[in-house]
Amino acid sequence: MIGLLSIAIFLPAVLAAPTFLLGRKNPKMAKILGVGTTAIVFAISILILVVFQYGQAGFQLSESAPWAGSFGLNYKVGIDGISLPLLMIATFLSLLSAAGSWDQITFRHAEYYALFLIFETGIIGVFTSLNLILFYLFWEIVLIPMFFFIGIWGGPRRRYASLKFLIFTYSGSAVMLFGFLALYAWTGTSAYPGGPSFDYDVLAVRIPNLALPLQLAVAVTTFVGFAVKLPIFPLHTWLPDAHVEAPAPVSVLLAGLLLKMGGYGLIRYNLLLFPKAVSVLWPYFTTIGLITMIYGASVALVAKDIKRMIALTSVNHMGYVLLGAFTATVAGVSGAVFQMFSHGLAIGMLFLMSGYIHEHTGTRNIDELKGLRGKMPQTVSLLFLASMAAMAVPGFANFISEYLVIQGALSVSYLFAIAIVAPALTVGYFLWMLRRVAMTPPVGPKNELHLHSILILVAFLVPLLIFGVYPPPILGSVIAPTVEKWVGTIVGLGAR
Amino acid sequence: MALLSLTPFLSLAVFGLLATPAGFLRFKKSKLGFAPFVCILGLAIALVSTVWLGFTSSAPVSFGGFQVDLFTLFFSGVLLIVAIFVTIASLQYMREDPNKGPFFGLLLLSTLGMIVLAASMDLILLYVGWELMSIPTYALTAFRKKDPNSNEAAMKFFVLSALSSALLVYAISLVFGITGSTGLTAIASSLSTAGPDVRPFGVLAIVLFIVGFGVKMAVVPFHMWIPDAFEGAPVTIGAFLAAGAKMAAFAAAFRVFIVGISAFNVDFYSTFAIVAVVTMSVGNVAALMQKSFTRLLAYSSIAQAGYILMALATPFTTTNVPLGLAGGLFHVLNYAILKTAAFVAAAAVATKLSITDLDSFNGLSRRMPQTSLSIAVIFLGLAGVPPLNGFFSKVMLFTGSIYSPYTWGGYLALAALINSGFSMSYYGWLIKRMYFDEPQDQSRIAEPRVYMAVLWAATILIFAIGIYPDPWIRLAQSAAAALVGSRGL
Repeated sequence: MIGLLSIAIFLPAVLAAPTFLLGRKNPKMAKILGVGTTAIVFAISILILVVFQYGQAGFQLSESAPWAGSFGLNYKVGIDGISLPLLMIATFLSLLSAAGSWDQITFRHAEYYALFLIFETGIIGVFTSLNLILFYLFWEIVLIPMFFFIGIWGGPRRRYASLKFLIFTYSGSAVMLFGFLALYAWTGTSAYPGGPSFDYDVLAVRIPNLALPLQLAVAVTTFVGFAVKLPIFPLHTWLPDAHVEAPAPVSVLLAGLLLKMGGYGLIRYNLLLFPKAVSVLWPYFTTIGLITMIYGASVALVAKDIKRMIALTSVNHMGYVLLGAFTATVAGVSGAVFQMFSHGLAIGMLFLMSGYIHEHTGTRNIDELKGLRGKMPQTVSLLFLASMAAMAVPGFANFISEYLVIQGALSVSYLFAIAIVAPALTVGYFLWMLRRVAMTPPVGPKNELHLHSILILVAFLVPLLIFGVYPPPILGSVIAPTVEKWVGTIVGLGAR
Repeated sequence: MALLSLTPFLSLAVFGLLATPAGFLRFKKSKLGFAPFVCILGLAIALVSTVWLGFTSSAPVSFGGFQVDLFTLFFSGVLLIVAIFVTIASLQYMREDPNKGPFFGLLLLSTLGMIVLAASMDLILLYVGWELMSIPTYALTAFRKKDPNSNEAAMKFFVLSALSSALLVYAISLVFGITGSTGLTAIASSLSTAGPDVRPFGVLAIVLFIVGFGVKMAVVPFHMWIPDAFEGAPVTIGAFLAAGAKMAAFAAAFRVFIVGISAFNVDFYSTFAIVAVVTMSVGNVAALMQKSFTRLLAYSSIAQAGYILMALATPFTTTNVPLGLAGGLFHVLNYAILKTAAFVAAAAVATKLSITDLDSFNGLSRRMPQTSLSIAVIFLGLAGVPPLNGFFSKVMLFTGSIYSPYTWGGYLALAALINSGFSMSYYGWLIKRMYFDEPQDQSRIAEPRVYMAVLWAATILIFAIGIYPDPWIRLAQSAAAALVGSRGL
């Protein structure tokens, strides 16, 4: 019996082949099939929302089948309150990004949409898989289309950026794989009846008994893999290059989804699996998160390219995820999950908009965009709203998530009050950018976006505003029950 | 009935001897002659009978030192697949060559030598197989007799190989001196009770075995001949050396070390671990600096040999078959497919572009899209990206290493994984050249059908094994079990 999750995971990959074959002769066909598939997958995810039982903490819609049983590998997927919000933004952003690609991708459509669908399979798989090797498989599947996206459809420095991205993230995940394999080996000894396993639920039971040095070894190596993706401060240098060179719809995927893989991995594996290691490592990890937040904001302050500025916003905002997660408090972890959700939407909107602005004005330089109000008045209004979301103005979901993260951090130590610097800097660079771009005397002639482009941009705002004004449907009934259960478990096992 | 299990060997021997004279016969207008078809027929019969034997035979069939068990059949299957791919690609590559008869005849005889190696439980037989494998490959490497590069490559290859054979003979004679036997099981039981007085000789024999096999397996520091030989030899023969001869040397090493020497109380596992790390690191770093495609393949094959060596660095007990050993055998299968296909792709490029320096790969995806796609898949497979076949065997090898009772097991796995991550830099670089860089010449190149057939077959295998690895893992596990079981202790 094939369940909803499996359909959502594999439908895009299956339809990638006809998209490529039919689209080669007829680019329009590729566009229709590509966008159509993402729409179907989004519809399936809405169905998942309907079927999902709210207020529950365990894994739901689980599916399990033997895959390579001779090696302890099972095909195992399921979602809980941590993965559901990410699954939703994965399907939603894929749909919007595919729709945004309609105008912004101008050549080799068949290849583009086929790779796009393979990417979607990978990203949904990452957020739903409950077997370490399956997770790693999807994790790597995401990598290859992204490499081609940047390398083929990217900007002038695309070759450099694509290779840098590939080498950074692949090396990081190789180190991460060590952690996974070590877990399999170290919990596969005769001390653990039932034989070695890569299954998440089995490992979650076994790992607390693992000795501290072994837990530390695994926690640190997996952290490296996730941290490259997140990214954290010293390992982030691939990010500005990749985000700036990638075409705008792909930047949406990069910032909106690919970075979330790192955050999701940190929470799902690093935080929840290794309570003893967390008790030792949390000061270091939260400090790294803090540094990343402030560093990202400071660098964004001096960026001249609007896309680079937005890219560095991600470094800034993903630091909150790291900080919130490793406070190991309910508020902090919920905030981290919610931050990934809201940041994905806000940053996706900003990136897509930067692509449209570049397309219509021919420049991305902030100083050259002066007087944009005259050319694209509606877009500038949307830019205001998106910036307000990214600045975490109350009323947007981002406010609630950042508030929760800082609340969680302060409940652990008052020293985290330094974290307040980061939102202040964020507001600083956004307002400065807006002052130069939007609040300068308008320069004509008018060259506004098409209505469908504006609708795509507005679509990002809808969930941001709904959940910003009224978060309980997602925070209270989806994220919180799961986080409360897990945090309770790991705190009980000595994570704090 | 037992004689039926000799079918693969007999088929290769008979058709190998027939192929050379068949080269003189030809169809009226075709340039090809009968030799390649005799060759393919021989290989096909051998492969079909190998598969059939693998499914039907349960107990190993032994003729003295000649043993047909699942380990033999596993290697025979892998090596025959390599030989078939090489033969089919050579149909195109050797099309203009007048001496097709000897070429395909030597190919078959060398393949026979390889599978005899996998079957040998006796050191004398092992040496016969070793020479039967090696001598035809010297001639095959020098097959372009008017090409100085080919001759130089063959010369270099020949001298080093002859040295390795000599060292093997020395090692065999030492072992015979200590134990009074050349049968591996007898050696094992004798070595398990060996006194301290013979210990230095035993250690010397082990060192000589490692060096002797190491030359053919191309482990560092005995790897120097490989890049030159691969570059000078006809490209399809490069595939045969890289995927065939090398893996056969591994088969011999598995037999000798696991059946014969593991009973001896010497820690050769640590030695193999060090050699493995050095080999994969040197291979990967050197590969990054290459300017020619075949040399890049050569160094990447050195690095891959380092991964397979980890199987020999995994100690085992008689009660259960170690994951690392099964992973090693699985990687032999995957590596053989990947590397053969990579060389066939190189042959496809070389026949059309006449040079194979890396600059000629710039923008290749627009000129030869099918070849480029399969090179990309092969390279990702070699780098170990899931869901391609190389991933699962690497996972098994590395996990097996962490399982090892030695404390260095985890570090070995970490070193291998870092190497694996690093290797993406040159694999990715070539993919970048093919897909992202601009070609100097935009013209579309017709891609030869024969090569494409091999490349597509290999690509499908790479995906099929990667997406559903279970039966192949079971196969490797039972081959490893047969190997451990053949110790007869």
